[in-house]
Amino acid sequence: MAATTPRAALQPIVRAAKPIREAHGIARGMLWSGTAITLFFVVLALFAPWISPYKFNQYRSGNVRFPQLAHPSHKHLFGTTVQSSDVMARVIYGAQTELKVVVIALAMALVVGVPLGLVSGYFGGILDRGLVLIMDALFAFPYLLIAIVIAFLLSSSSIGSGVLTAAIAITVAYVPLYFRVVRNHVISVREEPYVDAARALGARPRTVIRKYVFFNVVQNVPPIATLNAADAILLLAALGFLGYGIQPNQGAEWGYDINRAVSDASSGIWWTGLFPGIAIVLLVTGLTLLGEGLNETINPVLRRRRFGRIDFEPLADESEQP
Amino acid sequence: MDLKWSSRRIVLVAAVLASLAAVAVVAGSSLAGVSSHHSTTASSVIVDGTTDTVVNIDPANEYDYGSFTVDLLIFQGLYGFPHGAKLEPVLATGCKASANLKTWTCGLRKNVKFSDGNPMTSADVKYSFDRVLKIKGDQGIYTLLSNLKSTTVSGPYTVVFHLKAPQSTWPLILSTNAGYVVEKAKYPFTKIAANTDPQYGTGPYELTKFSPGQQAVFTPNPNYWGPKPKNGGLIINYYSKSSTMKLALQKGDLDMVFRDFTPTELSSLAKTKGIVVHSGNGVVIRYLVFNVKDAPFDNLAVRQALAYLMPRQDIASRVYHGSVQPLYSMVPKGLPGQIDAYKTLYGASPSVAKAKAVLAKAGVQTPVPVTLWWTPTHYGDASADEYTEIQRALNASGLFKVTLKSAEWAQYSGALGKQYGAFQLGWFPDYPDAEDYTVSFYQCGAFYNNQYCSPAMTKLIEKERAARTTGARIAALKAMQMLAAKDLPTIPYWQGKMIAVSKSNVQGINGTLDAAFYMRFWELSKS
Amino acid sequence: MAGTSLRTYLLTRLALVVPMVLILLTLVFLLMRVAPGDPISAALGGHVPPALIKQIRHQLGFDKPLLTQYGTYLWDIARGNFGTTITDHRPLSQIITVNGAATLELTFFAMLIAIVVGVVIGLVAGRYRDTPLDVFGRLFGIVAYATPVFFLGLMGQLVFGVWLNWLPTSDQASPITQALLKTHTNILALDAVIDGNWSALGDVMKHLILPAATLGLATAGIFIRLIRVNVIRTLRDDYIEAARARGITERSVVYHHAFKNALVPVITVVGLNMALLLGGAVLTETTFNWPGIGHALVTYLENRDYTAVQGIIVVFALVVVAMSVIVDFLNAYVDPRIRY
Repeated sequence: MAATTPRAALQPIVRAAKPIREAHGIARGMLWSGTAITLFFVVLALFAPWISPYKFNQYRSGNVRFPQLAHPSHKHLFGTTVQSSDVMARVIYGAQTELKVVVIALAMALVVGVPLGLVSGYFGGILDRGLVLIMDALFAFPYLLIAIVIAFLLSSSSIGSGVLTAAIAITVAYVPLYFRVVRNHVISVREEPYVDAARALGARPRTVIRKYVFFNVVQNVPPIATLNAADAILLLAALGFLGYGIQPNQGAEWGYDINRAVSDASSGIWWTGLFPGIAIVLLVTGLTLLGEGLNETINPVLRRRRFGRIDFEPLADESEQP
Repeated sequence: MDLKWSSRRIVLVAAVLASLAAVAVVAGSSLAGVSSHHSTTASSVIVDGTTDTVVNIDPANEYDYGSFTVDLLIFQGLYGFPHGAKLEPVLATGCKASANLKTWTCGLRKNVKFSDGNPMTSADVKYSFDRVLKIKGDQGIYTLLSNLKSTTVSGPYTVVFHLKAPQSTWPLILSTNAGYVVEKAKYPFTKIAANTDPQYGTGPYELTKFSPGQQAVFTPNPNYWGPKPKNGGLIINYYSKSSTMKLALQKGDLDMVFRDFTPTELSSLAKTKGIVVHSGNGVVIRYLVFNVKDAPFDNLAVRQALAYLMPRQDIASRVYHGSVQPLYSMVPKGLPGQIDAYKTLYGASPSVAKAKAVLAKAGVQTPVPVTLWWTPTHYGDASADEYTEIQRALNASGLFKVTLKSAEWAQYSGALGKQYGAFQLGWFPDYPDAEDYTVSFYQCGAFYNNQYCSPAMTKLIEKERAARTTGARIAALKAMQMLAAKDLPTIPYWQGKMIAVSKSNVQGINGTLDAAFYMRFWELSKS
Repeated sequence: MAGTSLRTYLLTRLALVVPMVLILLTLVFLLMRVAPGDPISAALGGHVPPALIKQIRHQLGFDKPLLTQYGTYLWDIARGNFGTTITDHRPLSQIITVNGAATLELTFFAMLIAIVVGVVIGLVAGRYRDTPLDVFGRLFGIVAYATPVFFLGLMGQLVFGVWLNWLPTSDQASPITQALLKTHTNILALDAVIDGNWSALGDVMKHLILPAATLGLATAGIFIRLIRVNVIRTLRDDYIEAARARGITERSVVYHHAFKNALVPVITVVGLNMALLLGGAVLTETTFNWPGIGHALVTYLENRDYTAVQGIIVVFALVVVAMSVIVDFLNAYVDPRIRY
C-alpha cells in the first residue's frame, strides 16, 4: 500500500485534520482567534522591513536625530527610547527576533526529542530506562534555571550571546518534554493490535514506526508545540530581562526592552515598557488560544463533535411495524 | 480510601490557611499604620540606599567601593581626608621621613580606643600592616603596600615604616584602605574575618548588624576619640536595581541614595518635589584602553584618529544629561597638576577632517574595521548607551566600521588587554592624587595588560616618586600626562560628578562631595 | 494491586530518588566544569597575579583530576557541606538558610494565592462550561499566564506603589523594621510572631502582598486550566450519571460529588507548579529586590562565582526531587490505584 498518488499521500494529514474541521463552539472560537493573533505576529515578523517605519536601531532620519524618550506622537506612534530608537520599530522587529529564536529552538527540540522518544518508547530496555531517568530529572527542574545556566555558559564561549545562544538554552529546557510525550504515546500505541499484527507479519521496526506509530503519535505534537512556543516566548523574554539574551545592537528583543524600561517607568515614562509588554502578552495569548483550541479539537476527552444529520434509508416495507 | 474525605480534607486545610493569611494581611495592613509611631525614636537614624555591593568588610582584603563605604565608617588609618581633599593625619600625629625617603617614622595619637573599649597602640598598627602583607588577599589591596619592606615599633606610640624604594608620597599610601588599623587581639593573622563576624575598629561608628545583600546597620561608637556623629545611626540598604531604589526613595523608605542612579532616573528625581540632587566635584573617570600591540590599534595613526573623533560632548549631554563632564586627561580636574593634555593635542570637539588627514598620511585604508568591548552592568546600564554613541559617531565619520561586543564584569575583568584590543574601563581613586591616575596606568605591566611600556615614561614615573618638592612632582606629573596624550595607550573621555540624592530634610551632604570621594555619613543629619 | 501497602510504595519511591538526584548532581557538576575560561580568575577579577591564582586553585582543589573532584563533590554534598562562595566568602549553608527562608516565605504565600484564585475560577469555569463565565475564566487564566512575571510586577509597583501609594514596592520590610527585628527562623513573618512584634508583622505582610500576588497570579493559570478540565471530566463520569439518575439535584451533584473529586489532583498540580513557582521566583525576586535564593543565584551567576552557582542549583535540584516524592506519596495516599 505504498503511497503512489499525491492525494493518497495526503490522506494521513487529511485524516489527522478531520477533528479540526469538526470543531464547533468555544473550541472553534479559540482556534480561529488564536490563529488570527498568531498570524498577525508572523506577518509582522516576516514583513518587518516593509511594515516598520524605521529600523530597530535607527536613531535619526536624514541628519535629524530622533528625540530621546519622546512621548508617543504622530512621528513616533509608540514614542522613543533612551537611545533615541523608535519603540514601534523595536516592537515589530522584536516579533522577528522572538519568532526566529522560538522557531529555531522548537525545531531543534523536536529534532532531538521526537526521535529519541520514538526509539526509546518502541525499543524499551536499558536505553529506555536510562533516558527516562535523565529526562525525568530534567523535566522536573524549572525551565528558567536550566535556560539561564546554559545561556550564561554559552555567552562566555565562542558562540557569544545572541540568537543561537538563546535558542540552544530554550532547546535544552524543552527536549525532555517532547521526549516524554512522544515516548508515552509510543508505548500506548505499541500495544495496539494493528501494530502487533504488522510485527507478526514480519515488518521491520523501521517500517512499523514510520507507517503506524509516527503519524499516530505526531498528531499529539502540534497542540503541545504551540503551547510550547508560547512558553518559549516567555522564556526568551525572561532571559532578555535578566540580561542573558540578545544585545541591543544585534536585534530588538522585547524582554531586554522591558529590562531597560524598568528604570524609565519609575520616572513616569511608560511607553518604553508597556508596548513590548503588551506584545508579549498578545503573542503568548494567541499561541495559547491556538494550542488550547487544537487540544480541544484533537483530544478525544474534551472533544465535542458537531452532530451532523444522519438520514436513515426508508424501510423496504413500511407496513412492517414491530 | 474515601475520596470524598480526602478532598474534603484538602479543601478544609486550604480554606484554613487562606483565611489565616487573609486575617494576617488585613490585621497587618491596619497595624502597619502604627509602625510609623514607633519609628519616631529612630528618627535621627539616616537610611541610605545603594546599588553597590559589599565583598569583604575585613580591611585586609577589600578593594571595591561598596566594601570601602562600610569600612570608612568603622575603621581609620594613620592618615586620611576627614575634611575634604586635604591629606591630614588621623590616627597619627605626624610622620617624618629619613633623608633618603626610605624610612618613615610616625607618632601615634594617644587615647584612641577600639569600639570595645581597648586602647590602640603601635602593636595594633604593626599587626595590621603585617597582616595585609601576610594574607595577600585575592582582592589585591596588598599591592598598594608593594613598596613596604617591613614595619617596626618603637614604644607604644611610635611606628616606623621601612620602604624598599624612596617615596615622598608614603603618607598618601597610609591614607588608603590598606592602612586601616584593626585590633590585634580580635583579628586572626592568616585568615580574613567573615562579614557577619563582629568588627573592631576606631572609627565613628560600629557595625551592629550585617545581613549580606540586604542591610548594614551602624550605631555611634561609644568609645570614639573624636566628635560624635551628627546623627543617631545609619542603615545602608542594598538594592540590585536602581529602579526599585528610586521607588523606595520616592515613597520615603529611604532618606538618601548614594550610588547609583541611571541618568534618566536622575533627571526625573531632579524634577521631583521634596527630593534634592546634590552634586560636587567628582574624581571618577571613564576611559578607553588600547592594547598597543594588537592590530589595528598597534598603528599610532589609528589611535590618533580615534582621539580626534571621540564624541565627549555627545556622551556627556545625550547619555548622562550633564552629570558627567568631558575629560581631557587621565587625571580628573580638581586634582593638583591636572592639565587638559588631550585637548591640547586633539582639540576640544571631534574633528572628522583631522582624523581623515592623519589616516591618509599613514596610508591607512578606510573605513577601518574595529571592535570595541564594553561591560553591561558593572558601570551601570548607561554603558550600553555610551558605546552606542561612540559607535554612531565613529561610523558616521565614514572612517571606521565599529563592531560592539560586551561581556559581564566577572569575565570581562579577567580578560581585558589579554583578549581585547580596545575596551572600556572606569576608575575611582585609591587616594585622591594625580599619582594614582598616572602611575597605575602608565607603568610597564599595568594591571590591564595593554602592553604599553615606554622607557621615557618609566623614567618620568621614577622622577615623580623620588621628587622631594611639590613643584618637582607636579612637573613630572604634567610631563607624564603630555607624553601619554602623545603615545595614546588610553583615551579618557569623561569625569563624573559626585552625586547623592536625598529628601530635602537631610543636611550636610554638600559638604562631603569633594575630590576625596568619601561619603562622610557622620556629618549628615535630618531636620 | 491487591496487598500493596503504602509503606512498600514509599520505599520503592524513595529508592528511585537516588538515581534521580545523582543524575541532576552529575549534570550540574559537568556543566560547571565545561564552563569556558578559568572560573577562579573570572570570579576574582583582574587584580590577582598568576601565582596567587595558582595558590587559590590548589586550595580549592581545582588542580586535582576530574574524578577525584567529582568524588569530593558528592561526598561533601552527602555531608551537607555545600562549600563557600569564591567572591564574598559566604558559606553556602548561610545562603541556603537565610535566602532560602525568604524564598520560602514568598513562594508559600504565592502558592496560596494561586490555589485560591485558580481553584475558584477553575471550578466555576468547568461547571458552567461554554458559557460566558467559562470563557471569561479561561481567558483570565490564559492572559494571567501570558503576562511575564516581571511585567506584571512592574505594573503592580507603578499602580499600587506609586500612583495609589497603598503598598511598598520592594524588600521584605521597611529598613528600620528590618534593622530592629531579631532573627530566629529567618522567616520574617514568623520572627515577628515569635517576638510578639505586631507592628513588624504588619509591615512584613504589607511588603509580601505585591510580590506574592504577582507570582501567585502568574501561576494561577495552571490551576485554572487543570481544575477546569478535571471538573469537566468528572461531570461526565458514570457515577455522576448514576447520581443524576437517582434523582439527586444538579446542585448537589455538582457540589458534593463533582467538585470534591475534581480537587484531588490539586496535589499533583501543586507539585507540577513548584517548578514553575521556583522559576518565577527568580524573576519576582529580582523585580522586588526580594533577598531570596533566586536573586542570589542571578547575582552569583553574574559574578561567575561557580561554587555559589553550583551549590544553589544543587539545592534547587534537591528541593525539586523532594517535592516530587512528597507529591507522589500524597497522591498514593489519596488514590490507591496509583501505587505499584
